[in-house]
Amino acid sequence: MGTTMDMEEMLQKIKDRQWALADIDWDAPGAELITDEMRPKLKAFMADLCWIENVGARGFAAMAKKAPNDTIAEIYRYFHAEEQRHANAELALLKRWGMLEDGEIPEPNVNIRLAIEWLDKYADNMSLSVLGTVIPMLEVALDGALLKFLLDEVDDPICHAVFEKINNDESRHIAVDFAVLDMLGHAKARKLAIEFVSGVASPGLIIGALMYIPLLNRVRNEVVDMGLQPERLYGAMGRFKKLGDRGEATHRVPLYQVLKWHAAMVIDPKHPYHLLANTMVTLSDHYPKFLLRPIPSWFKELTYEPVSSTVDKPGTRKDAA
Amino acid sequence: MSTTTTEKRPRTRKPTTTHSTLIIGAGFTGLGTAIKLREAGVEDVVILERADRVGGTWRDNTYPGAACDIPSLLYSFSFAKNPNWSRAYSPADEICAHIEDITDDFDLRRLIQFDTEVTALDYDRREGTWTASTAGGQQYRARTVVLASGPLSNASFPNMRGIETFEGKKILSAQWDHDYDLTGKNVAVIGTGATAVQIIPEVVKKAASVKVFQRTPGWVMPRVDVPTPKLAQAVFAKVPAVQQAARNALFLSHEVAATGLVWDTPVTTLIQHVGRAHLRLTVKDAWMRRQLTPEFRAGCKRMLMSSDYYPALQKDNCKLITWPIATIVPEGIRTADAIEHHVDAIIFATGYDVQLGGPPYPITGTAGRVLQEEWAGHAQAYKSASTHGYPNLFFTAGPNSGPGHNSLLVYVQGQIDYAVAGIKTILDKDLVSLDVRPDVQAKYNESMQKRLKRTTWMSGCTSWYLTKDGFNGAMYPGFATQYLRQMKNFRAEDYDMVSHGARRLWNVPAAQAV
Ligand SMILES: Cc1cc2nc3c(=O)[nH]c(=O)nc-3n(C[C@H](O)[C@H](O)[C@H](O)COP(=O)(O)OP(=O)(O)OC[C@H]3O[C@@H](n4cnc5c(N)ncnc54)[C@H](O)[C@@H]3O)c2cc1C
Ligand SMILES: [Fe+2]
Ligand SMILES: [Fe+2]
Repeated sequence: MGTTMDMEEMLQKIKDRQWALADIDWDAPGAELITDEMRPKLKAFMADLCWIENVGARGFAAMAKKAPNDTIAEIYRYFHAEEQRHANAELALLKRWGMLEDGEIPEPNVNIRLAIEWLDKYADNMSLSVLGTVIPMLEVALDGALLKFLLDEVDDPICHAVFEKINNDESRHIAVDFAVLDMLGHAKARKLAIEFVSGVASPGLIIGALMYIPLLNRVRNEVVDMGLQPERLYGAMGRFKKLGDRGEATHRVPLYQVLKWHAAMVIDPKHPYHLLANTMVTLSDHYPKFLLRPIPSWFKELTYEPVSSTVDKPGTRKDAA
Repeated sequence: MSTTTTEKRPRTRKPTTTHSTLIIGAGFTGLGTAIKLREAGVEDVVILERADRVGGTWRDNTYPGAACDIPSLLYSFSFAKNPNWSRAYSPADEICAHIEDITDDFDLRRLIQFDTEVTALDYDRREGTWTASTAGGQQYRARTVVLASGPLSNASFPNMRGIETFEGKKILSAQWDHDYDLTGKNVAVIGTGATAVQIIPEVVKKAASVKVFQRTPGWVMPRVDVPTPKLAQAVFAKVPAVQQAARNALFLSHEVAATGLVWDTPVTTLIQHVGRAHLRLTVKDAWMRRQLTPEFRAGCKRMLMSSDYYPALQKDNCKLITWPIATIVPEGIRTADAIEHHVDAIIFATGYDVQLGGPPYPITGTAGRVLQEEWAGHAQAYKSASTHGYPNLFFTAGPNSGPGHNSLLVYVQGQIDYAVAGIKTILDKDLVSLDVRPDVQAKYNESMQKRLKRTTWMSGCTSWYLTKDGFNGAMYPGFATQYLRQMKNFRAEDYDMVSHGARRLWNVPAAQAV
């Protein structure tokens, strides 16, 4: 398998590179660099980013149950926690910028809510080859790429310090994501075909696509709203193809081909795809709230507090200060 | 001259006599062996015990909630029953008191040398004797040795990142500090194994908050722990046959469970259904159920028996944390989600120093071979009791002797029978040495490993039963009935024997004996 990644070594590296909210001086000067004009949009964007981290976290939780061996399972356990860490750190930035009341956790938008419902319902039943293809896309397109935008816009040095840490984590996530994707490509063609057909034809994945398409476009629109170039997002999606094609066997994973094709449509702003996708965003805004199921408890574990001194049950969060 | 030596090691005192048998350890096993040896007419027995009291596991493990998780009726020796067990699953202090009682009832106390820790065992091939060196300097010599120093008798703090920096109270489950009061404290518990599920419900009752750090969830079966009715106690005391009948029934039910817990079969799946139903019925939150759902086949790791663990986790002052621990810091525990948990005390329920490579003290056999070196890769023995190159030495809880989910003492009884038969053979036939034949041992282990293939332990989980490379030298792949049958059957022809008589007659050096 050409250049296989030494997963034991990777796991050790992950363990050696852990960091915590307590490592950062959240009261250091620099918060004042956020202009009033930026505030509302930045808050919306950061809130989405933070929830997207949490969605990624749930994806890794599902992956951990499917991992081909104990080492990779342990790596996914860490990645699950690290996505949560990113979300916590992003919340802490929001708090630092005075965008959160005490104990406030921003509301997820409807697309996130739907994505979360989907994850909770279907992710654990998806095969590794499906999850192993979808997660890298989520990572390069949303998780890894979005935070790079911010750095162009925001001058706060603490924001830069935090995102440097997050980026370092993400580079390990992406390296493992694509190593596993390549590993999947080495499976027997028959197995790949069966998993593809059963995975893609499953209502789970179809509904998943219906969640993902508007989510991606909503974020794209937000990016544009903030006055950023959507090309950066497209560049990130292009990276999915670049990294994937670098793998020896990745191209053999059928779902990879589908996502690549999808990415190509997204990248092309004139593609009629955007008509469909944006219609879906609008539609989802009208999604009846009463149909949304209660937010699962794992979703309420987010916190901007570096220290926890007592037991916080979801929903009864007390501020440790 | 002793003034020049800086070392504190006491001077070695050579043994003056050669005993028939040395037993190392005064837990259930060591004491049971002494009882059976004397029943068989072997009187010159010395028991070496490092502590100042009998009891082993049940003397050392005094953490809150400590109890056996096999019904007491079965978790006891059939030849030293206790009609007065207060509950179905007796607490540690009651088991320890029972062991004290056995010691007195069978008049064993005078055989025991307390405060005597064995530090090495050496075989003298010419004499056919073993010499035990002890921490105090006194040496003991005997013609035969039974190792009963316990499979789980040593525990230490785990080698976790940052553990040395913690400024709060560190508590090791096996060395509980009763002077430290947990009332009103913020407490972390690391580990969710057999010990943790007993500790957590107790600590939750006292502490202000309890955070439970879990790595891998295990299968938890409900444990119905009821007080023994007074009537039953009275009947057991008057008509021992009734107690024996109850014991037999329990034995059979555990044998039935083996069809699912030892072998990976549809019964295993059935047991998992029970485990999942237990979870569904007692844990409200779906995500928490997911966190608590095991990912390995039931039986692959030790089954957890508890009806109060799941309820405890859901108490308002308790929280299950499944994020990996990144490091321990002076104030507490940092998890990988970037949060620091500040606590007053950390309870380590992280298991025992498992002795897959034999006891921790060096055992030197014929031709200078050292057991720990030979077993560093894979431990093997014949019928879990003898190993070639270490004549006249009998293991208890030896290689491939672990029960799946049954009373260890049932298995130990088989090991005691076997050791007694071997020791009787040596003494009655006046043997210099009784050493298992290497070919017999190799054949036995081949069949063990073959039979292990279909067991739950080899179904893909990592457990303390397995070495790093996945070898199972710990568990016995079969029913207790099978194990006991093999242990009842001591076959002298499986051993190379050298007798004092033959040596005198033919002047055969031990090495060439048939
Ligand atoms: C918390 C706990 C719960 C358990 N629950 C069950 C259960 O429910 N059912 C079950 O079947 N099994 C259970 N076990 C397994 C248990 O260890 C055995 O059932 C049984 O107690 C073993 O008895 P033993 O005499 O072989 O060993 P031990 O009880 O460990 O006794 C060994 C003795 O040897 C002494 N010793 C050790 N090293 C030396 C040395 N170098 N020199 C001199 N003396 C030494 C020790 O001090 C100790 O007194 C449990 C174990 C633990 C730790
Ligand atoms: Fe992330
Ligand atoms: Fe990531």
